[in-house]
Amino acid sequence: MPGWFLRGLRRGVVTTRYPARPDASAAVLPTPPAFRPEALTRELADRLCLICPSWALTRSGDVLIFDAGACTACGRCREAAPEAVTASGEFELAVTDPAHLVKRIPLLGEDAS
Amino acid sequence: MKPPGTEEAAGALRSSVARQFGRSLHIRTLDTGSCAACEQEIRLLTAPHYDLHRLGFFFTPAPRHADLLMVTGPMIRAFDIAARKTYEAMPGPKLVVATGACALGGVYQPDAFTHGTVGETLPVDVWIPGCPPSPLALLQGLLVAVDRLAEKARDLSFMQDGGLR
Repeated sequence: MPGWFLRGLRRGVVTTRYPARPDASAAVLPTPPAFRPEALTRELADRLCLICPSWALTRSGDVLIFDAGACTACGRCREAAPEAVTASGEFELAVTDPAHLVKRIPLLGEDAS
Repeated sequence: MKPPGTEEAAGALRSSVARQFGRSLHIRTLDTGSCAACEQEIRLLTAPHYDLHRLGFFFTPAPRHADLLMVTGPMIRAFDIAARKTYEAMPGPKLVVATGACALGGVYQPDAFTHGTVGETLPVDVWIPGCPPSPLALLQGLLVAVDRLAEKARDLSFMQDGGLR
């Protein structure tokens, strides 16, 4: 008899209770980055824009434009700048308008005013 | 500036969607050039752990039986006619869900072979990011599509220590 059958009998229902209750596996999902504006300089932002393989990051003046829809959560920006970028932990990102996914992250400009 | 009455009309539309699709909805998936990772995650929705059927969603092999079109991939240009025909074959009211980073304009830029985003060819109602979106993200997207969950991403700032989240 397959082991999963006995395991199922022992543990009971395996189906997730999401969305009524949070799912335990959500904690280990790859998620888009969250940025720390006070650690983001223009140079670092430019470097991250070049690293990003899916055109999710662009810089416009003193603002880093992050398109969470284009982000593939590959983690390259996090690896390149762990002091400025961490995982956001957000996976419930469905929207009715793609513009809601475009976020503007203020940068620490050299001439910060 | 929106014309007066837009908010009310949008509210009425949302409530009618919830009324008509709220408890039972049939899904047709459409692959427009994806790498099949999204398909893999969509397939997992019917596995015992996620068990999509408990929420009243079912997959159907025919667009004529479908209420919701789940589109993956960057919408290659060779697929234009087929995508439009699939959409037209569906009975109204119908919903289109763009699934995955390709469908949302990441990964592939528009060029001679691909539109780069599903929105170029079909009127998309809900956008689900992720590469691939996890089954949980897909579930949330489907529930947003039928108005049983509110969308959350609009209020996220993707900033740390900003106190804005």
